[in-house]
Amino acid sequence: MSKLTYADLEKYSKVFADSGPNWVRVSMDTGGIAAGADTVCDIFEKGVGTLGFPTEVRRVGSLGYSFADPLVEVAREGVPRVIYGRVDDETAHHILQDHLAGRRLLDDHILAWRNRALTFDGPTTFILVKDTSAEKGDKTQFFQFSLAEELKRCNLQDKVQVIRALDMGVYDEGVAVQFLPSRVTYTNVLAPDVARIVKTSVQGKKIIDDLLYKKPDKQVRVVMRNCGKFDPENFQDCLRYGIYQGLVRVLRTMKPEDVIAEMKTSGLRGRGGAGFPTWLKWKITREVPRSNKYIICNGDEGDPGAYMDRSVLEGDPHSVLEGLIIAAYAIGAVRGYFYIRAEYPLAVRRVEKAIVEARAAGLLGENILGSGFSFDAKVRLGAGAFVCGEETALIASIEGKRGSPSPRPPYPSERGLFGRPTAINNVETLAAVPAILVRGGAWYAQHGVEKSKGTKVFAVTGKVRNPQLVEVPLGVTLRDIVFDLCGGVFGSKTIKAVQTGGPSGGVIPEHLLETKVSYESLQELGSIMGSGGMIVMDQDDSMVEVSRFYLRFCVDESCGKCAPCRIGGYQMLQILNRLARGRGEKGDIERIRAISKAMQKASLCGLGQTAPNPVLSALRYFEPEFKAYLEGGVSYARKMSANRPAEPAAAEPVNA
Amino acid sequence: MPPDTTQSEMPANLSTWKDEEAALLESLEQIESKHGFIPRNIAEEIARVLEVKLERLRKLQIKVESNVRKEVDTLVEKWKDEEGSLILILHEIENQHGYVPREIAMEVSHALGVKLARIYEVLTFYHYFKLKPPGRHNMALCMGTACYLKGASAMLAEAKNQLKVEEGSTTADREWHLDVVRCIGCCGMSPAMVVDGKTYGRLNATDVPRIIALTAQPKAKS
Repeated sequence: MSKLTYADLEKYSKVFADSGPNWVRVSMDTGGIAAGADTVCDIFEKGVGTLGFPTEVRRVGSLGYSFADPLVEVAREGVPRVIYGRVDDETAHHILQDHLAGRRLLDDHILAWRNRALTFDGPTTFILVKDTSAEKGDKTQFFQFSLAEELKRCNLQDKVQVIRALDMGVYDEGVAVQFLPSRVTYTNVLAPDVARIVKTSVQGKKIIDDLLYKKPDKQVRVVMRNCGKFDPENFQDCLRYGIYQGLVRVLRTMKPEDVIAEMKTSGLRGRGGAGFPTWLKWKITREVPRSNKYIICNGDEGDPGAYMDRSVLEGDPHSVLEGLIIAAYAIGAVRGYFYIRAEYPLAVRRVEKAIVEARAAGLLGENILGSGFSFDAKVRLGAGAFVCGEETALIASIEGKRGSPSPRPPYPSERGLFGRPTAINNVETLAAVPAILVRGGAWYAQHGVEKSKGTKVFAVTGKVRNPQLVEVPLGVTLRDIVFDLCGGVFGSKTIKAVQTGGPSGGVIPEHLLETKVSYESLQELGSIMGSGGMIVMDQDDSMVEVSRFYLRFCVDESCGKCAPCRIGGYQMLQILNRLARGRGEKGDIERIRAISKAMQKASLCGLGQTAPNPVLSALRYFEPEFKAYLEGGVSYARKMSANRPAEPAAAEPVNA
Repeated sequence: MPPDTTQSEMPANLSTWKDEEAALLESLEQIESKHGFIPRNIAEEIARVLEVKLERLRKLQIKVESNVRKEVDTLVEKWKDEEGSLILILHEIENQHGYVPREIAMEVSHALGVKLARIYEVLTFYHYFKLKPPGRHNMALCMGTACYLKGASAMLAEAKNQLKVEEGSTTADREWHLDVVRCIGCCGMSPAMVVDGKTYGRLNATDVPRIIALTAQPKAKS
């Protein structure tokens, strides 16, 4: 591609990006591919040729509904657009034949829309139905049948089709139905309601108010705005969707100080976990009077259970790159690095491709878009060391050394990579930057709460019904996230706690789930926001085991440079090991607290300082459980914690 | 490497070639193509079996191994302008061979003018780099938090039991290598594992033997 100009970029963004009325989008992120998206996509690519009408097949990033991978979004003229989940090869063939060729939807695979409507805007052609209270959806078939019968009675069977859905996006609300294409959703539908639904809502196009589900969708997608829309490996597609418009605005109309001011208005804080204001980091780095500054995108997502950075890098690499270029402009950097885990080969490949394309188009390199600003970026691979997520360790790793942290100050903003001033931003932070500069800092700041503005992506996993990525404005409660968006606990169990912040965070017990999520509120509870992993634990999970798991992680990952972390962590793990075996000694709990304090105060870097957090927070809320292990042994403790007989098939302890 | 594996690495019809230079060269090439270099213990073993002086073998070895040297030289050339290139070079070697052979590490030390100790300092720090050759099949079991909570421990126990191997090691016949890894980023499908680059998700312990059989099958046919 030849070098682009402002006019070219503007032209691209004005060409409407959608590809005709018929298209198939297959989510091709690591999770999707692992679930078989590759072969599914092949089936579509081969199959659409025989349909007799133009249908575009696109390989897109993930929509975030990981529980239903592989995801396929289908649009067909005359049929409402739907998302199919758990699409295997057979389903793919069915979608080709029934949906694309036959204009009928498929049972048991559709995810209902989350952006629900409150009024009918046209005639209903499809009704999705699912029993959201039963795990297996036992009443679903009955309601599908009775709705279909009722429609037949009203002579509507050819106009309206009733489809069993895979997931309704509402949970424990009885039988739910969604009318397509209007997306009006009813919940707690009972058998006597069927007749009036058909009469009033299908025939009369009127809302039945007592059944209407009015809660709006809590998700706001800023960082994930483009994931699932276009092929991240198709540069022209990316341009058509308006990527690099933020950069255009910056280079054309803004001075670096203006960019920093806009970021200040937005209130964006570092999404890697610590929450340092992004504008301030940029300002400090900018004001260091030295040349050859660096900017680094931290994609070393080491926190087990978090995968939002991977999804963004895989689904929208150009936006992250755009954010990096804007950041470089703001601080006056000449070179930038993406530091990405080697365990994410797909993300690495897509970012590398994005860099090559951007360079060819003149968006990287000398004199970007004729603005006089020059900047180039490269990819560096992590090599499986959790500590390299820490700024100084990450810098050492890029320099080709062991990833050992060094004491701060000097901060990287003064003396960072190769001794030059360096700013390090997380993937999610950078992905939000272009959106802020296109739509304005004030727009971004309207989401969120006072000190924590904007949106945050969380990876909700563990014992949750629908593990997935959600992006919500800060200030929503943990209960909203876990129950309303992800369906609560898997199986007929009760929730015990939610763990946030990974190995540096802590557990938040069930009674505190009403907490509004923000940097400060989670810190008060003894946890942290962290990178956004949210692990749901149910009554079967032993808190001693869980804290042992996290601590072992930190002990394994400790670089060994400073004694508090190296020795303290190991000793604490020994105590937890014997506690978990029921061989605890008197005073162990006090010893844990003492060691924790020493580690927090004296460790060199964040890893050691925060390593005791999971243990301390477990102790804070579940001390009786630790005591039960100490006083009564393992089986007694399990009985205590679960409040019921211990399961025979308990997870086997793993050798450290 | 224990001596028994060295034995199994030896070209089968070694003794019939006895003391013919061409045959010796061929056998070295065989080993070289398999490993990408000639492990010292295997070279010693060949020398012992054929009653050849190790020095003579060494001369031939250099001939064969000039590829290795060339490979390292290209890598060093490729990254020489890059600051902090050591990790990049090691990444390429790891990706090519599945581990970082000592011989190649020595070569890199030569070419970059970096002390071998410093290369090993880096190699041993990062989990990604391996010092021992992988197995024919590699199982990486995810022990991220989500997988852990959903029963990855039971899967690990089953895998150990099935493969008769401890985590982080390879079976005696080099067929299987079992690793426990940090999050592979597929938490939505936990518990998950990666076998020979293919990811399996939503598993339980009973799936482990099935996956092992599935992976081992193509070999049984051939």
